[in-house]
Amino acid sequence: MRDYLRAVAAVARKDLVLELRDKRNVSSTLVFALLIVVVFAFVFGQEGDSGTVARGALWIAVVFAGTVGVTRAITTEGENRAVEGLMLAPVDRSALYLGKVVSATVFVTVVGWLSLVFVAVFLDHAFGSTVVAVAGVVPLGALGFCAVGVLLAFVTLESPLQESVLPVLLVPLVIPVILAGVELSLNPGDGDWLRLLVIYNGLVLVAGWATFDYVVEE
Amino acid sequence: MSFVSVADVTKRFGSRVGVDGVTFCVEEGENVALFGANGAGKTTLIRILASLSRPTNGTVEVDGVPLDGANPSVRSKIGLVSHDSMLYDSMTALENLRLHSRLHGVKESVCEERLRSVGLEDWGGERVGRFSHGMRKRLSLARALLHDPNLLLLDEPFSGLDQESLEKAVSVLSGFEDRSVVVATHDLERGARLVDRALFLDDGILVDDVRVDGDRNVREIYRTVSAGKTR
Repeated sequence: MRDYLRAVAAVARKDLVLELRDKRNVSSTLVFALLIVVVFAFVFGQEGDSGTVARGALWIAVVFAGTVGVTRAITTEGENRAVEGLMLAPVDRSALYLGKVVSATVFVTVVGWLSLVFVAVFLDHAFGSTVVAVAGVVPLGALGFCAVGVLLAFVTLESPLQESVLPVLLVPLVIPVILAGVELSLNPGDGDWLRLLVIYNGLVLVAGWATFDYVVEE
Repeated sequence: MSFVSVADVTKRFGSRVGVDGVTFCVEEGENVALFGANGAGKTTLIRILASLSRPTNGTVEVDGVPLDGANPSVRSKIGLVSHDSMLYDSMTALENLRLHSRLHGVKESVCEERLRSVGLEDWGGERVGRFSHGMRKRLSLARALLHDPNLLLLDEPFSGLDQESLEKAVSVLSGFEDRSVVVATHDLERGARLVDRALFLDDGILVDDVRVDGDRNVREIYRTVSAGKTR
């Protein structure tokens, strides 16, 4: 078990070091999230319920920016077939999956939290007293999103059309995350949506954990 | 009992057959070369032995343990140098080795030692993206040897190497006496000098298995392969 957790930590740490070092991924994803919020501010700035617009902008930013982030994070594994070096490790390969999910979740969570700031600044909606709870929903949503995203990104890793195919496959599968995220942003104490999100996260994590070896092995 | 046992292994890619019913064994400490033309199935076989590819039929055992994913710890006995370096360009040579040392549960101090053994001790702090092909290959060899594997798999280890890298690689490989080596190469002369046995693949089928010794020298093997026929 210690070897397994060490492998999870090694992969997550490596990804985060690479993200911090090569800031292109972080910066382009953040600019993308910022643009979404700014466009929402231009279109809905003077009309509509600011809470509804803010929730929509927040989760669209998370989903779009997250898709870009997950795709690019996995692309580095295809260069020099680096992923095969990881696959040679003497641990169950699901450790590599969990490591990638951890690092991608951290990445998408940071993007989500900064999107909260963008929403507060450009849409003038700071979520009032629920802002901390909404900030807590973001990593939960990011976890479900990345659990599916990482698995699909590896499925499409060898495809020359990965960047266009991944969102087409990913977005329909994370609809429960988007729905729960939007609803919990309005009412973070809603037990039904919270339960749905937790159960969905559990199911997709177990599915990814159980199938990853078959996905990456030729 | 043989250290590596390959029994009736077949690998299909759709309708194409990569490896067809291959059976052979490798003893502990034995060095074996896989010879064959492009597309003969050498790389497919190496990938199966490295557990990167699952055979469609047949079984592979390393030290008596099946390579079926149920026993991942058996991979600690295997090291692989492939066509691709399996290294991250944005990370330094030492960072790459440290990552693999963590994955294999090896002390990080071993990384510097391995870098020295392939002559890259002055390049540990440089990003791999700046390395030449030969330096990547040497670093790849250091990565493969990090956990001191009992079975070393080499896929075209000499391709594209300059003289210095070639000499370094050959000197490192020549030093193995206690571990088994399976090397797939086009470089018959250099490959044959490193091995005790040569297996010949043709269209995925194992067509010959010869002992490399005084009676059957490198030139004779070369002629056999060039003629595309068996003994």
